[in-house]
Parts: sequence; C-alpha cells; structure tokens
Amino acid sequence: MKYKDYYQILGVEKSATQDEIKRAYRKLARTYHPDLNKDAGAEEKFKEIGEANEVLSDPEKRAAYDQLGQGYQSGQDFQPPPNWDEGFEFSSGQNRENMQEQQFSDFFSDLFGAAHRQQTDTGAGQFSARGQDHHAKIIIDLEDAFQGAKHGIVLKVPELDQTGHLVVKDRKLEISIPKGILEGKHIRLKGQGSPGLGDGKTGDLYLEIAFKPHPLYHADGADLYIDLPVTPWEAALGAKVQVPTPGGAVDLTIPAASRQGGKLRLKGRGIPAKPVGDMYVVFQIALPPADNNKAKEIYETMARELDFDPRRSLKSGVRQGNRD
Amino acid sequence: MTDKVLSEDLDLLLEDFCETCGLSESRVLSYVEEGVISVQGEDVKRWRFSEVNIVQVQKADRLERELRLNPAGVALALELMSEIEDLKNQLKRLQRTSQQE
Repeated sequence: MKYKDYYQILGVEKSATQDEIKRAYRKLARTYHPDLNKDAGAEEKFKEIGEANEVLSDPEKRAAYDQLGQGYQSGQDFQPPPNWDEGFEFSSGQNRENMQEQQFSDFFSDLFGAAHRQQTDTGAGQFSARGQDHHAKIIIDLEDAFQGAKHGIVLKVPELDQTGHLVVKDRKLEISIPKGILEGKHIRLKGQGSPGLGDGKTGDLYLEIAFKPHPLYHADGADLYIDLPVTPWEAALGAKVQVPTPGGAVDLTIPAASRQGGKLRLKGRGIPAKPVGDMYVVFQIALPPADNNKAKEIYETMARELDFDPRRSLKSGVRQGNRD
Repeated sequence: MTDKVLSEDLDLLLEDFCETCGLSESRVLSYVEEGVISVQGEDVKRWRFSEVNIVQVQKADRLERELRLNPAGVALALELMSEIEDLKNQLKRLQRTSQQE
C-alpha cells in the first residue's frame, strides 16, 4: 500500500487551518467535479480530493493521520502498525446518503475503513435506502446508429470484500444499441446500479451515448456532415460526382457557381432517428498545385485573361480605414 | 435486464419520476421552479415529466450536494455548462473547416 499525502493532494501546508483546508477543497472540487470537467482523470482526481478532505476536515482523523504519517513521502510503501487507531474515535459528520457512495482508496479504508463499516452496519437494521444510480459513457461507431448493434462493455465496479476492503471487479454487460440512437441520448439499464440498503431497491445504470470520431462524417443531432473536396472548375461549371453516405454512395449534382463552404442537403440521408436526419455535403474547393509547366501556363493564362480581384472589397475597406 | 433509451415523451407523474430518479419530491419541485427541467400540465398533481429529464435532475442533485450549491445556483451552472458545450461543438466544427482550407 502506498502512502497518500493528503496535504499535497489539497495543495495546502501541513500547518493549514481547518478553514484553509475547507477553502482549498472547495476550489478543487469545483475544478475537478466530473460533471464540470470532462477531462479523463477528472473523476479520479475528484475522488482523491474528496478522500483527502474527508480525513483533513475532521480534526480527529486529521490528528490520527498526522501521527501515523510522520516521515512518510507520497507514494512510499506504507503499512499501518497494528492497533494504531487506539485512542481515536472517528465520528463522521457526513450523512449516510453520502457515505455509501464514497469510494475511497485502499489506503483510506485500511486506516479509517473500520469506523466506516461500523456506521453502515448499525444502520442497516432500521434503515433502508434505494441503491445509487450509476452513470457512464459509451463510445460507439456512427455506423451502429444506422444499423443498431450489440455492444459489450466492461464496468469497473467497486465492491466490499469479506474483510470489508474495497476491491474493483470487472462486470461485463451486453447492451443493445437501437437503430437511430443519437449522441447525448441515454440508455437506462434497470437494476444495474448499486444494491440498496435494507429493503431499498437496486439503483439503475445510465449510459450516455457518444460517437467515435469518424474519418468522413460528423454528426450534429440526427444530421450528418461531410466535407466534399471539389476542383475549382467543378465548383465553377457544375459537375456530377459521387458522394459516400453511410447508406451507400449517391450521385450528386454540384450546381454551377458553387462557392467554398457551400452546402447541399441530401434529404433523409442522416441518422435514421425519429425524425430522420439529413446529410449535408459541404464543398471544400481544392486548388491544383502549379508544380509543372502545363499547370503554370494555365494559371498564367487565367491571370492574364480573367478580370478577377478577390481583394476588391478590401481595397475600399482600407481607404475607409485611412480616412477614419 | 431491460435496456431502454430514455424517452422524450411527457408521460411520467411526479411520484413515478421521483421514484425513478431516487430524489425527494421537494428536490424535484425545486428544480422545476428554477426551470432546470420543464413539465407539462396545469397543477402539480397532473404534471407530466419526461424520462430524458432524469439524467438532468440527477446531475443537478450531484452538483447541489457535492459543491454545496442552491437550486438557483445549480440552474445557472447547468445553463452555462450547456452554453459551453454548444460553443465547444461550434469551435470543433470551425476548426475542422479551417483545417481543410
């Protein structure tokens, strides 16, 4: 077991006052709250600062921790001496609702776990509460939203073993992804959350859907967008080209005088949700490189023959700017 | 085991909604009052809630407890969060377009 430096985690001095600890905790809690911070690792960090606060905000636990940790560095191997907690009485100001959902490290439960268990056990007789709901995100392929799919996931589930220690177990679940699912939607799996206390019902598991980045398409609700590279002459003169869609390639007519960033809608070619989405083809005009004599000649001819000044509007703008 | 995509239909009564969320009626009512979720119906007894709001009120509840906010603060935080989400998506779209050029 590694020693955890709770002071370092909260970024406070060992001599910090209870108020300083409280302020440091609150600021960090806002920064790393997993609902506010989507970075990978934010949730871990949030739990870690919660654990540090649980110990340091309670003067009894803090005193015990200080006495125990003298001379230890963060990450150093650590074994608490037997009966080290004699003479301390841990009382927690937290209510039970909060207690059951906190998942602390081995380090914490080895030190303070006994006090925790006692509290929960005495409660179980008279007290029942619904199990906590769990929330997770699953990342699926965009194609799965077109066909529907079975998706296997592995959840890391913390459980208390027979000795009361927290162990993380893998739980495999197979989920049916219905056709037409959209990003940000939730699937509920009844009874896959935490077990209830006493007669309380088991909680549910909520899975939020996200799409893996796709090399061709990106989704906005039920609509899909694809960037279609076109040549300057296709954009200028119009052309017939093929465009891939998840349902197969379709023929598309690029209208004459199309512009960079211009959009065409393919009705009903988006995600088959209710209502069905559309697909938008966005023109990206690609310039041919002038890397041989032939290409250079053509560019030179255009420069000579065409009356085209893309900076016309800028010039009038500059004059106005000077006058101001 | 039943998997179910949360529906947008407004068809849950307050009691059922609270039961599914695992939250008290007063908590849920405070979120309705702050506009965190919207309901349909004349009076509380006949209000209808939709399943998609379950996730929203649970998030509100987590923020309220874990960051010691009040319901008005939660409502503000959620609005700003959704605005940031929209802006991030817009930014992603713009970055994608400018890479192409």
